[in-house]
Amino acid sequence: MSKTITLNHITKIEGHASLSLGIKNDKVTKCELSATEGSRYFEGIVKGRRYYEAHEMTSRICGVCSCAHVVAAISAVENAFGYKPSKQTKQLRELMTLGERIRSHATHLYFLALPDYVGYGSALAMAKKYRKELQNALNLMKCGNGIIKLLGARELHPVSATVGGWLKIPKEKEIENVKKTLISVREDALKTFSLFSSLNYPEFETESVMFSLVDKNKYSVLDGTFSSGNMKTTKKKYREHIKEYQVPHSNANFVTYDNYQYQVGAMARINNNKKQLHNKAKKLLNKSKIKFPSKNPYTNNFAQAVELVHCIEEAIKLCDSLNLKEEKLDKLKVKAGTGIGCIEVPRGTLWHEYTLDKKGIITNANIITPTAQNLFSVQEDIKELVPSIIKKKKKDIIMDIEKLIRSYDPCFSCSAHFLEVKWV
Amino acid sequence: MKLKVGFYGITGCAGCLLSVIFNEDEILDLVDLVDLKAFPFVKEVNIDEKFDYVFMEGLVADNDDLKTLKKLRKNSKFLVSLGACASTGCVPAYRQYTLKENYEHLIYKKQKRLQDLKASPIDDHVKVDYYIPGCPPDKKEIVNFVKNLVIGKEPKPFESPVCVECRQNGNQCLLDLGKPCLGPITAGGCDAVCINGKFECWGCRGPTKDMNLDLMIKMLRDRGFDDKFIQDRMRTFVGLKMPMIEEYMCSTGTANRLKTSFKGKKEYFE
Repeated sequence: MSKTITLNHITKIEGHASLSLGIKNDKVTKCELSATEGSRYFEGIVKGRRYYEAHEMTSRICGVCSCAHVVAAISAVENAFGYKPSKQTKQLRELMTLGERIRSHATHLYFLALPDYVGYGSALAMAKKYRKELQNALNLMKCGNGIIKLLGARELHPVSATVGGWLKIPKEKEIENVKKTLISVREDALKTFSLFSSLNYPEFETESVMFSLVDKNKYSVLDGTFSSGNMKTTKKKYREHIKEYQVPHSNANFVTYDNYQYQVGAMARINNNKKQLHNKAKKLLNKSKIKFPSKNPYTNNFAQAVELVHCIEEAIKLCDSLNLKEEKLDKLKVKAGTGIGCIEVPRGTLWHEYTLDKKGIITNANIITPTAQNLFSVQEDIKELVPSIIKKKKKDIIMDIEKLIRSYDPCFSCSAHFLEVKWV
Repeated sequence: MKLKVGFYGITGCAGCLLSVIFNEDEILDLVDLVDLKAFPFVKEVNIDEKFDYVFMEGLVADNDDLKTLKKLRKNSKFLVSLGACASTGCVPAYRQYTLKENYEHLIYKKQKRLQDLKASPIDDHVKVDYYIPGCPPDKKEIVNFVKNLVIGKEPKPFESPVCVECRQNGNQCLLDLGKPCLGPITAGGCDAVCINGKFECWGCRGPTKDMNLDLMIKMLRDRGFDDKFIQDRMRTFVGLKMPMIEEYMCSTGTANRLKTSFKGKKEYFE
């Protein structure tokens, strides 16, 4: 018996994607996950522009993680000039990144993932029965947005972060207020954690290797080495290991590490940095029935809930350690060279690379987003998963697949500005 | 009867649709005010017909986008262009002003199914009834727009330049500091949000109807910016909605006849 499943517009994800699946005699004959977002060619567009314009333009790659693109682009440019930002600047960048992670995880968990698990078509339809739960989400989102708005002046595509420093330093009192909000949403994060540890995640194991930035002393945000156990690469040598290649069915690159499929994101981060989690999150994780390291991509949702608890505590700590003073922007010594920025963002590790000429004009750019890195892994997981659920009804097969795709929290807007491709 | 409303996105960053959801205090009640028939970003089942209003995020970048756009135009009484991509083409449309060789290597030649089209705002292809400009629009602006529709009040665009709100907020003028701020020629309504963060306006909401482009160009030249820089900046977000800037800049252009000067420091990063 043969079946074909085509999901043309997968809903409840960022951006546009489709899946084409062929099944014959209970075997998968075709499995192609495609990003169908139109190509925007950001890497081409920034060529010819000045080094201090890259972050403002590339933040438009993605609304959900615009802070991430801003910080990664700035780090890459600073890296090219051999410049190291001040402690205060780094703290502000980190706090903004944490704020974004809180906002993004809350949005994804409640608006995109949860409806699947409680049998609703959308979070908005859940409002009558699950108003309290949704209120948790909205509180968390508001807290994250508050942090980003205070530091970056805008909630989406923040502007105050820039090359060489920070344009508008927040006032101490404003940071105090942010801290108060963070304390007030602690409860919401705990409830989110309980909710997501009580869900029944389908059993499944991926073969993907788990990659993230790893730092001995700290749960990774802006620093660390890109690694998975013994496999690791310095930023400088990333191109020797990470390869991007085109596939004929998708609008985004597929990415491998030393030819292995790999996964980035909250689950990979916890797998690699469990020890560095905040004590509160660590305790919760140890008590939970879901064990880490985990190889089940469905538990990425759970990992995001753990990170919510962690990020809120870390952000509170950061607020306490801030000792804000006015700092003038540093004048950068413009010179020719290549710089790489690599940071952990809500969906995984984000890479920005720019080559600049001696006047600071961008002559080349390369951006690898978390979703691009996950795409191969998602597709292979679907291929693995389908034979085990093949006896189910078509509707249920689709549900399981969609759940799997959404558990990765893919962002196809991000991944699909690079390449063209399609039915050949 | 409640208004039948749909929120859709074609090629874009999802930032405008997120701005709808990020109305944390209002969103749950807002969706009760209307009959939300479609919102694929957060909804599984979407019925794409017989709309009163469709809000469209994103620009037309390939034939899939165009197909979706045309279908939704046909199925709705009013089409609202939501955000900069839909209204002006935003940053992705800036590629028209870059060299083809800059991005040519990124194009896969054998593609058949999705054909690249000229990156363009949606009103290049269909009639648009309302615009909510901005990259992204102010989130409150979207809520107010919907509320106005519900009570039958005609939404009005904000026509004064960004400088009006910027002054009200008591910001230091960035042009006075020698920065290339496009506030004077850009339509406001954004609460001058970027300048509040000490970052110059890049013009994402599009030019005002009565902008003085000559003077803007002259002011930027006075501050030491070369013509390529000025053109690039003005075109980054709204190039397709700007007049031919070159004509203003050429030797016979009127910008040359203006007598202004700038005595502050000319040092913007360079």
